[in-house]
Order: sequence, then C-alpha cells, then structure tokens
Amino acid sequence: MAAAAAPMTIKMKACCGYGGIKAMEIRWATRKEYSSKVSTKLKPRIPIFISTNPSHINPQELRDLYGICNHSCHRFPKMDKMGKLVEPVDIKRLSVALSHSALLVSVFCNEEDVLASDDDCGNESEPSKGETPPVLGLGDLLHRVVPLPVVSPSTGMLVGFGRAVSDHGLTASIFDVMVIPSLRGMGIGTMIVKRIIRILTSRDIYDIAALCSANERLFFKACGFGDDIMGSTTMMYTRTLSTHIEGDQMFKYAGRKLLLVPPLRQSS
Amino acid sequence: MLTLNVVAPPSILPKFSAQPSKHQFNYINYRLANTGRRKLKVSRLRSNFWESIRSGFLKDNSTQVVESPSTLEEVEELQPEEFVLVEKTEEDGVVEQIIFSSGGDVDIYDLQTLCDKVGWPRRPLSKLDAALKNSYMVATLHSIRKSPGSEGNDQKKLIGMARATSDHAFNATIWDVLVDPSYQGQGLGKTLVEKIIRALLQRDIGNITLFADSQVVEFYRNLGFEPDPEGIKGMFWYPKY
Repeated sequence: MAAAAAPMTIKMKACCGYGGIKAMEIRWATRKEYSSKVSTKLKPRIPIFISTNPSHINPQELRDLYGICNHSCHRFPKMDKMGKLVEPVDIKRLSVALSHSALLVSVFCNEEDVLASDDDCGNESEPSKGETPPVLGLGDLLHRVVPLPVVSPSTGMLVGFGRAVSDHGLTASIFDVMVIPSLRGMGIGTMIVKRIIRILTSRDIYDIAALCSANERLFFKACGFGDDIMGSTTMMYTRTLSTHIEGDQMFKYAGRKLLLVPPLRQSS
Repeated sequence: MLTLNVVAPPSILPKFSAQPSKHQFNYINYRLANTGRRKLKVSRLRSNFWESIRSGFLKDNSTQVVESPSTLEEVEELQPEEFVLVEKTEEDGVVEQIIFSSGGDVDIYDLQTLCDKVGWPRRPLSKLDAALKNSYMVATLHSIRKSPGSEGNDQKKLIGMARATSDHAFNATIWDVLVDPSYQGQGLGKTLVEKIIRALLQRDIGNITLFADSQVVEFYRNLGFEPDPEGIKGMFWYPKY
C-alpha cells in the first residue's frame, strides 16, 4: 500500500507538558564500557532528544523505525524463515493507534551519531561515518564550535519510541517500546519507559502493565516490572478455526493468527 | 460449577493517594469534555457496514473463511447496541428482562454496589468514572422487573458489566468483568465477553488480552483465551521506595 503523500497529523486528545514535567529535553545516552561486543567505532556518549510531544512524530519515519527494529504491532506477526517481518506496519492504522494512545515518547539523535548499518554494529571494515562526515554543514560547525549538544526532532533521526494506552483513571498498558539496534545498551529504552511511568504516575495512574514476549522480559524487569502481585494469568484470545462448530464461521486476521469471531447467539 | 466471580481486579493500591489533586481533576474534566464517545453518532455508512458483515455468511452450511471488510475512518465511534437478552415470566406475573447494552451508561454508584457484591476492593469513584468514560467499550447487563399493573414502575438493577480499553487499532485489554452472584451460572458473563470480542475483532483489533484470577482461568479458556501464548506474559510496574 502506498504511504500518503501529504504528511499525516496525529490528533491527540491529551495535553502534554504540564505538572512540572518537561515535554521535551536533551539528555545524554552513555554506552556501558564493559560491553565487549561493542565496536570501538561506536561513540560512547551521544546527546539525544527525548520528547512526549506527539507533533514531533512523523508517521512515516515511525513506520520505518518499526521496520528497522523488526517490531510489529501484531503480537503474532507474519515472519519469514529468518524471523524478519514480512510486511511493514500499516501506516493508517498506526496513526489511529497513536491518536488513541495516552502518551507517546519519541527519542531523536543526530544522524552522524548513529552508525550507518542498522543490522551490523560490529563491522570493523566499514569506515565509521561518525568520524568524518562527508559534508560540513552548519550543524557540524556548531558541534565543533559550541560545546552544547544540538539535537532536535526536525534535524535529528527518530531512534527510539514508546507509547502507553490508558483509561485515564485506573490502568495503563505500555506498548511498542523500541530503540534502533545500533543504539541499544545505552539506556535509551530504559529512559523511554521511565518517562512513561513518571508521566502516568503524575496522572495518578499506578496500575501499569506491559505485555512482554520472552526476550523483552529482562528489559522490563530492569525497568522495575515484575509478575502480577495478585498472581493473575495473562491470557490472549487465540481461538481459531474449529471443526466442532457447525455452520458458518467468521474470521479475522491478526498478524499470522486467524481469529474466530464469536457468533451471534439467538436470544432465548 | 464455575464461579464467574472475579477477573483480576485492576488497581488495588490503597497505599497511594486516593484524593485526586485539584490539577489532576481538571485534567480529567478536559478529557471528558473532549471525548464525545457517549454521543451517539449515527454513521451514514451504518447499514452498509452491517450488510457487509452479514453478506459474509453463506446460505449453505459449509465452513467459510470470511474476512469481512472493516471500514476505518468513517465508523470512528463504536455503534452502541441495546437489546433484550433474556426474558422470563414468573408465576406471579412478574416479567424479568435482562437487557444487554454497549452504550456505556453506567451509574457509578450502582457499579460500586455490584463490585461490593462480588467482593472487590473499593476504588475511588472519580477514577472509576474516568476509566469508564475513557474505555473503548463498556458492556452492561441490567435486570428489569415489571410487575403486572405496576404502570411503569419497573425495577432496574445493574447485574453485570465488562469493559475494554484499546488503542482502536491493534491492542485491547478486557478489564472488570463481573456478574451479580445471584445471576451467575447462566452464561451472562460469557455473553458479555463474547460481545466485546466480537466488537473488537470487527474493527480488526486482534491483540485481545486480559489478566485472569486463578479461579477464572478456565472460564476464559472456554471462551477461547490462551494463557501465556508463545511465552507472552504481562508484567506490572512496582514502585521502589
């Protein structure tokens, strides 16, 4: 499907930037020294721009970020044999999801601080683009002259994201937390989750859930999440084609899962 | 005998402040003012929408995989339904009807009474109110008892509720499923949940999740829910002091 030519705006019903919490700010992301897998060409410390302002998010850029991170909005997405997603996120539905999320967090950084290859951080033979930028623009001159970090959503690259859905009263759920592969391990993901929690708790919402696949569990544990204190069981609707049910069965696709729509019952 | 008593009660944090700050309350009002969800928007595409769903059913009995088309932008608001689910006439001529409604008109005090009946801890009313108003769908069951010759003095009682939050596109979580203990065991809870699933799937919202108490895991399993599918688990935030 073709992406819309005109930039789509996300209509947000919630206000942001209140109660003393900044809607956007510049932070530093530091790579831990002890990680031996990290290439020496990666910068140890980069300025990042973290924002909760939804107008900073470009839907197409966000859709591309989902692709780079190989993250799907479906919990059971269609994947090829290598585990890579088969189709990109539907941008229209993504915009709907964003406009109905209580909170959107986006993280930007300067393009030269990100390595070119998104799937191979440790490629030593490739010259690092971070050290010799091909063209000296004003931004680069500023970097050399002014010691202050200069990152903004308009000039920077979207490298991290997270959102929360809430009923604005009792509960909230965190979805789609992602950071591009080459910038992982620098605390950006944790920063995103902490920001979400800080804002939700400032809105007096303390019941915050995150649905995690097995490989996401450690990350959320590090962010202060744990199993339900009441011992509840997480369950998802997965009912599909049944040979036991007679008659017509209506289905809906959710990623690679074919879900049975419960039939209308006759009232007695 | 299944006890359809309780799904994991969502927020159980008596430690934290129950009094919303003044600023907090203003924020809630802002949201309520701007959420026109409770206003019934009659979509001009309504008949087409339901027709396209119905046309998916074939006349013969073969199992058909049908993907019904989902209209997205135009049918932005959920179409509320209300109908009589069960009607019973008792010996003394009293007619009792159980009405299903997805319009979300819930009296907060009735709901609190119902929560007390099933033994749930009390939650601040303002939070409960906000949660209901900002839920994607609130399904309720009311019992209406009409005595013969009472001339419209019907007794209306809230006997069941379920709600779901959603981002309207991919994810939904079902919370607060409860049925009055004296009405349990009749399949009413099942109806509530199935209605919600149906409404969600018809909008292509495919990630339907809930957090079930141990005594109701079987109930949800029978409705098509699977525990920890493919290792997916819910985790909850715990503040560290």
